[in-house]
Amino acid sequence: MGLVTPGSDTGNVDQKPLVPRVDTLAGKTIGLYDNGKPAAEPLLTAVQEKLEDRYPDATFSWYHVEHLNQIKNDDEQEAVVEWAEGVDTAIGAIGDCGSCTKFLAWGVELIEDAGTPGVGLIDEGFELDYQSNAIERGRPLRYKKTPVRCETTDLDRIREEVSEDVMDGIEDELTRQLNDKERAEPVAQ
Amino acid sequence: MPEQSQDEQSLAEINKSLYREGMTDGLPVIPPTEERVDEMLRGTDKSPDHIVGRLGNNENPLTIERLAANAVMAGCMPTYMPVLEAGVRALADPNSNSIQFSVSTGSWAYQWIVNGPVREKLGIESGSGAFGPSFHANQTIARALGMAYRNTAKIYPGEKDMGVMGNPAKFSMLAGENEEASPWEPYHVTHGYDEDESTISLAGPNSWVQWFPSQNTGEHVLRGMIENTPTSMRANSGEDLNVTITHAINPYNAEELEKEGLSKDEIKQYIVENSYYKTNEYVRSFGDDEKVPPRQVQQYGDVDAVKIATIGGPGRVNAIFGSSIGGPVTKKIEFPDNWESLLEEYSIEENWVPTEGFYE
Repeated sequence: MGLVTPGSDTGNVDQKPLVPRVDTLAGKTIGLYDNGKPAAEPLLTAVQEKLEDRYPDATFSWYHVEHLNQIKNDDEQEAVVEWAEGVDTAIGAIGDCGSCTKFLAWGVELIEDAGTPGVGLIDEGFELDYQSNAIERGRPLRYKKTPVRCETTDLDRIREEVSEDVMDGIEDELTRQLNDKERAEPVAQ
Repeated sequence: MPEQSQDEQSLAEINKSLYREGMTDGLPVIPPTEERVDEMLRGTDKSPDHIVGRLGNNENPLTIERLAANAVMAGCMPTYMPVLEAGVRALADPNSNSIQFSVSTGSWAYQWIVNGPVREKLGIESGSGAFGPSFHANQTIARALGMAYRNTAKIYPGEKDMGVMGNPAKFSMLAGENEEASPWEPYHVTHGYDEDESTISLAGPNSWVQWFPSQNTGEHVLRGMIENTPTSMRANSGEDLNVTITHAINPYNAEELEKEGLSKDEIKQYIVENSYYKTNEYVRSFGDDEKVPPRQVQQYGDVDAVKIATIGGPGRVNAIFGSSIGGPVTKKIEFPDNWESLLEEYSIEENWVPTEGFYE
């Protein structure tokens, strides 16, 4: 009995390599990409404070998506790429819900499109969501799970939760050299 | 255990296989065999490879044939294909925001309202129990559209569909508007279509509340529409996110409002002007610590954020659907050349009320 598949055939996306990482954050311009979720700005603020302590000679450049959904617009996407071209490396936040994790992956993908290595910060419950959206966009984008629960906007609480261990992890994602899979030339998934 | 026939075994195996591949909604489905899909395609003039819409992150194409396969699985009849095609066009419209509300933690549902002559032709219920189970067209059309979206966009719970609670109405919330019992112009006319056209409208609410007025007067109905809207439901129309609340008014209460001379526009205006939530629920956004919180906050940002439809049967229970972060978008239903003969062939007569006709 022949069946007609009810699903689309276009699930497999060719994967592009990630942009090579920077070797150190010292003296670099670090981009902070706020995807428009309320919890993104305070989380990135806490991360910036801790990076400033570690690297006093680093500089920071922010990009704010005013509303989460604006990343769907061509103008916004072009603006993200243009901004990302002006930074050495970038951290994006936040993946803490279904649509914002998707749109964070879109944002980090645009940062990589600009030739800048990027890392997304996510609530640990949204790991598979981030991975699936990244693969679907065409890159095994890097990310760091944080213990900051979704929708948390209390800056003092976030400062406590973004521990030195968490910062070590973020720094590792920003500087650890690419593995074979991440360096791969375009291949079918 | 009684022996199973070959067909029964096959049915069970195919269901297991489709479930394993994530192609179902968890309930048993009718296997989309080539023969059944061919029969479903009788409901359209378009070629099987015609792309009805592109859905999901990567705008995966949904062809007529694949839509028909989902329709077979959901239990649809070929005559439902025109409604399904229009529903897919609604899902594919960027203004539907289906790309967001299908995956959001808020567990938003696909809410469908059907207008025009197609309701009677297909037996789409708009009276008693319209949003509930029992009605073949209401249930199977919504189910087919839900599965078609999932199977085309390739989203799965806990993977890309991050709805925290899930929503039992996600693939089943469809009703016709009770135009015949409504004192107002139909929903689709309000949104730019002719009364004799048939349409399907999509919104994306995650909750609904049923309520009834303390008295059957226009004033009490109006007050009830405000007082029974939870303060967690808030609405504001906009380009980036169009958030709306739909009030489904039963025909009796619609009549009470009409007796007071209230048009739908006047009702919306009244609701916007008189709906507030308390400041002790006001949530500061990051960075506005210096601002003095307002004493009260408007629940609806503007008149366009309020939608009204007349739905349901006798009784004084109404419903509020919200907040919707999808659409609303309305699409015209277009019929194939063989529509009338198909209707004759595939009509189902409901004969399920044993006492109906007893007094005749």
